[in-house]
Amino acid sequence: MQPFPVCRVYLGKGETNTMKGTYIGEFEELVLLTVGILFDDAYGLAIVDELEKQTGRNVMMSAVHKALVRLEDKGYLRSRMGGATETRGGRDKRLYTLTQAGTKVLNQSREMRNSMWKQVPKIVWEGGKI
Amino acid sequence: MKQRRLHNEGAPGWAIRFFYWYCNDHLCEAVMGDMLELYRRRRSRLGKKRADLLFIFNVLHFLQPFAIRKRSHSTINHIAMFKNYFIIAWRTMSRQKMYTAIKIGGFALGLATCMIIFLFIRHEISYDKYYTDSNRLFRMYNQYKGGDDSGNWTSFPAPVAQILRTDFPDIEKAGRLIPYNWYNAGNNLFRRQDQIESTYEEGFAYADPEIIDILQIPLVYGNPRHALDQPNTIVISKRKADKYFPGEDPVGKTVIFNEDKSRPYTIGGVMKEFPVNSHLQYDFLITLTQEEFWKGEQTSWCCWNYNIYLRLRPDADPAQLEKKLLSVRDTHYVGYLKEMGDKSLEDVRKYHSFRLQPVSDIYLQEEVIWDNLRHGDVRYVWLFGGVAFFILALACINFINLSTAKSANRAKEVGLRKVVGSVRGYLVRQFLTESVLYSLVSFALAIVIVCLAMPYFNGLAGRTLSIPWSAWWLFPLLLLSVLVIGFMAGVYPSFYLSAFKPIDVLKGSISRGTRNSKMRSVMVVFQFTTSIILVIGTFIIYRQMNYILNTKVGFDKEQVIMVQGANTLPNQKTFKDELRKLPGVEDVTVSSYLPVEGTKRDQNSFWREGKSKEEKSIGAQKWYVDEDFIGTMGMKLVAGRNFMQEMASDSQSIIINEAMAKEFGFKNPVGERIMTWEVFTVIGVVEDFNFESMKGEIGPLAFVRGGWGSIAAVKVKTEDMAGMIAQVTNVWDKVMPHQPIRYTFLDESYARMYDDVQRMGQIFASFAVLAIVVACLGLFALSAFMVEQRNKEISIRLVLGASVNSIFRLLTQNFVMLVLISFVVAAPLAWYLMQEWLKDYAYRIDITWDVFALSGLLSVLVALLTVSYQSVRAAMVNPATRLRSE
Repeated sequence: MQPFPVCRVYLGKGETNTMKGTYIGEFEELVLLTVGILFDDAYGLAIVDELEKQTGRNVMMSAVHKALVRLEDKGYLRSRMGGATETRGGRDKRLYTLTQAGTKVLNQSREMRNSMWKQVPKIVWEGGKI
Repeated sequence: MKQRRLHNEGAPGWAIRFFYWYCNDHLCEAVMGDMLELYRRRRSRLGKKRADLLFIFNVLHFLQPFAIRKRSHSTINHIAMFKNYFIIAWRTMSRQKMYTAIKIGGFALGLATCMIIFLFIRHEISYDKYYTDSNRLFRMYNQYKGGDDSGNWTSFPAPVAQILRTDFPDIEKAGRLIPYNWYNAGNNLFRRQDQIESTYEEGFAYADPEIIDILQIPLVYGNPRHALDQPNTIVISKRKADKYFPGEDPVGKTVIFNEDKSRPYTIGGVMKEFPVNSHLQYDFLITLTQEEFWKGEQTSWCCWNYNIYLRLRPDADPAQLEKKLLSVRDTHYVGYLKEMGDKSLEDVRKYHSFRLQPVSDIYLQEEVIWDNLRHGDVRYVWLFGGVAFFILALACINFINLSTAKSANRAKEVGLRKVVGSVRGYLVRQFLTESVLYSLVSFALAIVIVCLAMPYFNGLAGRTLSIPWSAWWLFPLLLLSVLVIGFMAGVYPSFYLSAFKPIDVLKGSISRGTRNSKMRSVMVVFQFTTSIILVIGTFIIYRQMNYILNTKVGFDKEQVIMVQGANTLPNQKTFKDELRKLPGVEDVTVSSYLPVEGTKRDQNSFWREGKSKEEKSIGAQKWYVDEDFIGTMGMKLVAGRNFMQEMASDSQSIIINEAMAKEFGFKNPVGERIMTWEVFTVIGVVEDFNFESMKGEIGPLAFVRGGWGSIAAVKVKTEDMAGMIAQVTNVWDKVMPHQPIRYTFLDESYARMYDDVQRMGQIFASFAVLAIVVACLGLFALSAFMVEQRNKEISIRLVLGASVNSIFRLLTQNFVMLVLISFVVAAPLAWYLMQEWLKDYAYRIDITWDVFALSGLLSVLVALLTVSYQSVRAAMVNPATRLRSE
């Protein structure tokens, strides 16, 4: 006895429909940025390499893949298979690109940070004491 | 599109397979590509070894929820799949009724055997495990190790128990038991004091009051602490209490043994029956309180008649206690020997020790400890376990052989399934499901067989086993076995069947079932080797049994009636005379000692006259017999004379057997003088005769003049045994009107001594038959299959003029070959095994070639018969009918 179809919104595990949904962790943000940097050749190992280069940190491949899966689930990334080379046993890569939501969340994150930066009193930066 | 070639960059293959197994499809290929790329890079930088290691770490790092394949998301689909598997299994089963019947029937037979043997073994190892303080309960035994004779036995002199109680704080309780026929222990005529008629009862033993406490015998009536602590009290079992005192509490009532009214016994308590799995089985325990069998007996170290049971304190260490017990030997026993001036004193110090045996080990004891109790045999437990395993293996092999042989019929199914998208894992699962289904049906059938065969097996093995339906573990265990055995039997065929390549199958290039025939041959050889070994074993056991029962045993056991209970006769002499008057009675003797088990024995030490201080004694049986004994038993005197009725001096005469003469080293024994505590003159030598089980050599034995005993043995010569017995009964009833006659036959009692050999033989024969049946079922199905495969070939051969004979040969020679090979393997194995078994017997047959020839011939014949049914049928059929179909 339903007069019109009900539209349901599916939410991921632990996700809610508020600001929290757009929250991404630091590492996830770095991964998103790296995907952006690498543009059309962003796949697991390349991301690991780039991250290590950029941050100087040791990065686990499994951690990167885990983050990629999560980010794709959240809709910030999109992936396709392709670009197999001999050097990887003839296997395809999973190539990631940023979605609109992805760029949006990066922008949001930067803006939030900027606004917070601005709110810090100058005196803090100048190393003064109260 | 360029064909891509996948390779592994030289990374460890198993790690890659493992990764592919657990990783989900989304990530699988991409991640593996990444890892291989990284691997390649690392290998050139770090070397293969480190790169391999890091690669493996990488693979393990991905064992995280995000990467692992989700397996449970398609439950509904699985149920549908299994439903389909079952339907297909059912269809295959019903399409090939014969093969299915053989698969299931053979399997069920094997399983039923295993179940029965499992129950048997479980029973055997359950003996005496029910005591609450099981680890503190021990039985003492003597170990004599060294010198020229060694042995273990359990009897101790009367005073030992008291010494243990007072001198050893480690021992909480010590109690004595006399478990063999000795005075009133064994069997007696028994009645209530207020009744007239006596009844023969078995299962009497003497026991200290402590025994009730140590062995935790529960009392139904009476106080367990005081049930046996008055002189002349007994404890009877509930069963017997119900028989003699139905519906009343018998404690305090009086009973009479053997019409001995001068010494009535009072009932001190009623005990529950001993559990079936107790090494002791008694209905009457007579107290040893203040019992003294002759003057000074209770304090003397002369005579060893008491078994001793101990309960130690919880903190006592049995090994330590064994060492401390040696002091008993060194003070008391050696002291006694010194006093007697016995020369064996040094030997005793060196070789004789007092040991402890846990009560729970008594039934299945590992070394022989002579105790006159019924024992199980660890070797039989192992042997039966082995046989069960092999028969199960035979049944599994049938299953495997038939499944792979019939694979051609399933090949198309497999091919088609693969074409429409089934992966190998699903096919393996399908075939495993199928074999578990077979196993389930077989188990159900096996349980039915067990129920039907149980009484038969119980008769064979002399046990009372039953399926423990109420045990909590039964059904889980059965279910587990169904799965495990179904899996075991199915795992090889399922991998074999699922490996077919669809392209080959659908092209029809699978050579129909002939592949892997080598494997099948090996299995057939294994089956027949096992069967032939069992057949040879059976033959040899039967021969040995016949040898024991029918060789000359040194006396004539045919047509001798043993009238039991003669000790209660008021006058044995008149009874004898009355019997002699009967026509057909040849001779009558009265004695308690007869050369069959269950009659009295009396071991004594003999010396030459006056040499008791210098020489080692010779242990010999001393039997009290009358002058008619040798004649009645049909024994032969090889030298000297028999006792004579009228000679009063014969009370100091002795007749010894050849073994004893040899032991003493007498060249001319007649006239020699030997002594125990009194001196005897040897007047005759009797030919050796068997008086113990034939497992051992015939030991020394001597007859002295008696004239009184519990058994009247009547040698008769008659065609009409029933009439004879009626006459003897008549005589008995005249003398003893209130007591029914009780008689046995000497040859039957003799045969009973070899019960266990007989049982072994029958059980082995059953196993052999089972093994052969299972093996032949397999062979029958295989041959049927072979014929089916070569149908066209046979028809063409027939058309071209082959004779029935040559077709028959063509089809059978292969199988006969296999059986012959099995025989060659089995014969030496069987020879070795049976040689080991025969070592137990002092008098044994030689294993001759004809046993092997016979079993070889038998197995070839059986195999040939099995195969030939199918072969002949194939050869006789009109080839046109078969060829026409194409």
